[in-house]
Amino acid sequence: MTAIEFNNVTKSYQSGAHSVLNHMNFSIQENVLTGVIGRNGVGKSTLMKLIAGHIKVSSGEVRVFSENPFNSLKVSANTILVDDTMSFSDKLTLQQILKEADRFYANWDARLAKRLFDFFSFHPFAHHQHLSKGKKNTFNAIIGLAAHCPLTIFDEPTTGMDTVVRKDFYRALLKDYIAHPRTILLSSHHLEEIEDLLEDILLVRDGTIPFHGPITDLQDMYVKLVGKEEKVRAHVVERSSFGSQVNGSFIEVLVKNTFTMDEQARLNEEGITIVPVPANDAYVALTSGSKGGIDDVFNSATTD
Amino acid sequence: MKNAAGAKPIYIQIAEWIETEIIDGTLSADEKVYSQYQLAEQFNINPATAGKGLTLLLDKEIIYKRRGLGMFVASDGHEKLIAKRKEETLHGLIKDLLTEAKLLGVDDNQLVAMIEMERKKSGEGTS
Repeated sequence: MTAIEFNNVTKSYQSGAHSVLNHMNFSIQENVLTGVIGRNGVGKSTLMKLIAGHIKVSSGEVRVFSENPFNSLKVSANTILVDDTMSFSDKLTLQQILKEADRFYANWDARLAKRLFDFFSFHPFAHHQHLSKGKKNTFNAIIGLAAHCPLTIFDEPTTGMDTVVRKDFYRALLKDYIAHPRTILLSSHHLEEIEDLLEDILLVRDGTIPFHGPITDLQDMYVKLVGKEEKVRAHVVERSSFGSQVNGSFIEVLVKNTFTMDEQARLNEEGITIVPVPANDAYVALTSGSKGGIDDVFNSATTD
Repeated sequence: MKNAAGAKPIYIQIAEWIETEIIDGTLSADEKVYSQYQLAEQFNINPATAGKGLTLLLDKEIIYKRRGLGMFVASDGHEKLIAKRKEETLHGLIKDLLTEAKLLGVDDNQLVAMIEMERKKSGEGTS
């Protein structure tokens, strides 16, 4: 079943201003854990807020559980959006917030909430507004996990968390997802931290979706060629390269994976190794604005 | 087990890890293989990705499915893997060996002598 559908969605914050999302089309199936990935300012948070019904489209149509999420009770009751702007009453202690959440969310897992609360050493009588940035986001993430909402959205949930907490949170997310499959959207700038957790990737660039599909397909789209510089260079001129790195007489070049078996054999004979890349490298290739890497900036500076 | 340097797709690493378990006898014929959820927990990966690793082995008929019960090691799974490793890994190593020998100007007789010597050395080492 389809959980989320975007039909030709455009969103701009001021009429006439440049649009953050531009005629966007995609659909997300139920119970899939999808990573929403993209560089700063491409519209990831806008997309998530549209899905949660917090803001309205400028044109086009968003459907969540077959309804327009804006002003929909059904969508509100079945969705939680966790981000660093979540606010709770400053009159309530953390313990009281958990109690209210229990009343509010139909599927609330009080046992999980309590255990995570204790594990991350929260004080029951502390107040949300006095927590540090990392602690605040950890608390918000606990709410997001324990709510067990059929649609759970995490927008940069690990901002401010230290490395240990980030790892623990992702592990908790995976374990809880295995035990209670549900539709989850997760955004992060650190794809390498979450790539193994994800089933699908929704890549956002300039308000459009250049890639949406299994993360393994994204990995298979690119490879790295490693070998003697002059030999590798002879091959990559025909193909566009997405960044390269020189190590002594060796060079690593990221290219599209369009090699036939014969070509692969020929490359091997010339001492060029074809190395699979992590999804993160493929992501960088797909989202980098121009060809070449940071090294090329310095190379052209010296030849000008 | 996730190696960043080689960066093989994780589902292939999962398939290879199970293959090694079968080759070294940890999993024997007709024994139940880990479910995609067990693998997901163990390696901290998405269950769908773990499932893809299992599908690879299913396609190669190294494991088989029993409806409602899970996946099991094929009775000839062990033999198939040994044959495959001989074909792929050993041949690859021999090819590398010959390339290196050519580069160094070592002829076939010398190469065979070196292999014999190495075998004797390791033979003495283990006995």
